[in-house]
Amino acid sequence: MDWNEMQVQQPTVMNMLKRSIEKDRLAHAYIFEGMRGAGKKAVAMLMAQSLYCPYKQDAAPCGSCSECRRVEHGNHPDVMLLEPEGASIKKAQVEALQKELTYKGMETEVKIYIVNDADKMTASAANSLLKFLEEPESPTLALLLTENVHFMLDTIISRSQKISFAPPELERRIEMFEAQGSSKTAAALLAKLPDDVGGNYTGENSDWIVQGRALVIQLVEEVHHRPQQMLLTLQEKWLTHFKDREELDIGLDLLLFWYRDLLTVKYGQQNLAYPDLTERLEQQVILMSETEVAKRLQLILDAKRRLRANVNAQLLMEHLLLRLQEGS
Amino acid sequence: MHFVIQREQFVHSVQHVNKAVSSRTTIPILTGIKIDTSSEGVTLTGSDSDISIESFIPKTDEENEYVDIKETGSIVLQARFFADIVKKLPGDEIEISVQDQFATTLRSGSVVFNLNGLDPEEYPRLPKLEENQTFSLPQNLLKDMIRQTVFAVSTQETRPVLTGVNFENDKEQLTCTATDSHRLAMRTVATETDNDELSISNVVIPGKSLSELRQILEDTNDHVQIVVTDSQVLFKFKHLLFFSRLLDGKYPVTNNMIPEQSKTTMELSTKDLLHSLERALLLSKEAKNNVINFKTLEGSVIEINSVSAEVGKVTEKITCQSLEGEDLRISFNGKNIIDALKVIDSEFVHITFTGAMSPFVIRPGDHNQMLHLFSPVRTY
Repeated sequence: MDWNEMQVQQPTVMNMLKRSIEKDRLAHAYIFEGMRGAGKKAVAMLMAQSLYCPYKQDAAPCGSCSECRRVEHGNHPDVMLLEPEGASIKKAQVEALQKELTYKGMETEVKIYIVNDADKMTASAANSLLKFLEEPESPTLALLLTENVHFMLDTIISRSQKISFAPPELERRIEMFEAQGSSKTAAALLAKLPDDVGGNYTGENSDWIVQGRALVIQLVEEVHHRPQQMLLTLQEKWLTHFKDREELDIGLDLLLFWYRDLLTVKYGQQNLAYPDLTERLEQQVILMSETEVAKRLQLILDAKRRLRANVNAQLLMEHLLLRLQEGS
Repeated sequence: MHFVIQREQFVHSVQHVNKAVSSRTTIPILTGIKIDTSSEGVTLTGSDSDISIESFIPKTDEENEYVDIKETGSIVLQARFFADIVKKLPGDEIEISVQDQFATTLRSGSVVFNLNGLDPEEYPRLPKLEENQTFSLPQNLLKDMIRQTVFAVSTQETRPVLTGVNFENDKEQLTCTATDSHRLAMRTVATETDNDELSISNVVIPGKSLSELRQILEDTNDHVQIVVTDSQVLFKFKHLLFFSRLLDGKYPVTNNMIPEQSKTTMELSTKDLLHSLERALLLSKEAKNNVINFKTLEGSVIEINSVSAEVGKVTEKITCQSLEGEDLRISFNGKNIIDALKVIDSEFVHITFTGAMSPFVIRPGDHNQMLHLFSPVRTY
């Protein structure tokens, strides 16, 4: 990832950082806040490179000198990266970082530490961090990366400069999920799901979403062409696949995307959640008016709302399917 | 890179630098040992970022030829495997050559190892040395200095700078200070330097690094050269360089803590005091606070006692060589005193008190170069 590429993706962020670097007016701590795939970590690495690179132009590091390469490969002794161990960043990790910071820099004056998923710090870890975030012994630059800035301690937020990253474009999100090992069809779906959900079903877990997708396609087919079977499928497959409330919520999202695609196809737009099934979508949408599709979208949204109000999952789905079939 | 090296020399060097390599490092490149060859010889480097050890094998010395360098260059090899491999190689000579993509071949006798190396460009740079901040000490003296101070460093991270030993010089004297804010150990020695403007202050070397250095120091009179840079300190041996990173932060000023006058002074046998404290500690250890009570009696006799509510109590009387000044009753942490007495090599110790609520000083009886300061414990 190089500076110019990020400049295109995150112009506001990059311009601001560039000015700070050029004028040598960097704050001691930054919070990079934005969705997964917005390029937070890439920018953090670029910042580190920019500080150490002897050949940088303006603020852009060269990316090929040994300093830049060492930062990129995690081999620079003065750049420390903290990532969650398991579900959270533990206090011991922050203490190890703190210990490291009590030493003078190995090669450079300014030490940099990057905390990835900073919202996943346990309360005690965050409080330990707070101790040296504000008053480090020597010059340091803290870069805290997070997807949920609101989960972080107010005291940390107030001591750092917050920089919001724009969400990545849909195409980029699709590319990202593909890069993480999801198939093309699954990636298109995942990219549309909310950020914190989509990320959980990449790589090894992508099977679940692929099966869910197949179920949605089957169910919609049955709703419109073989209604006598749909309740059976619901009972046998749907409810065993989307087991709890959160999973069912994702199931309803997938269903919602189908009907949204119907509407999109009708108006000839791009960016489908089911791009490989355009023909089937077109066939189905011929039989329905826009209002009918919109009504069904409304029904699914209603179901999603009711799900949150603790309605029995089976009753909810049966009710939804019958009404989808009737179209009223 | 391509060279042939005497196995024995090489194994010796690899073992030295391997001491610095830690398996629990967060920086991947530091799991390796760096090998550099130049026209003068072979340099090995190992590091865990806190300490780095560099060992040099010259091409030849007066008697032997150690290395035959065919091509210069460098490589980083995984320390965990490399150290074991060279130790177990059968031949007297080892041939090491590096091909493309850092692929490395080790040949010895009829054995061939092919190892995947790492990019030497990624290895941390050790600081460039400015030779002006340099002085030297005999190895055995430095070893003693470390032994006599490093035990007193703080083990708690609340004040990180106290986990190190502070080196400071005043004209020809070098002072090492270690404290954990309850006790303080200080040792001074005369140094030899060519540089009149040598000024070292606030050079705080981590206690851990010094303990490591102590293992390398030998009991000889050979001098070791010490070079101080901004971020690291270097101990220079004949063919070995030991780097340690320095601690950041301002070391507290300790000179004015040491009391000038005294109210009670005494001199007594180091061994007697040490053994008696060890006995007294048997009980107070149980109470977990290591508190020992100490009072002066008539006729140069002192009484040491300790009480543990559950276990019982112990009392012991010791006759001093001399005892002058006011009567005194004081309590202190016996463990700290024992630590200090253990590193005092003199037969007698000199203790000066300035009242029950102020710190007291223990000095060896026969010289003035060491000092241990303790704060008493309030027991009521």
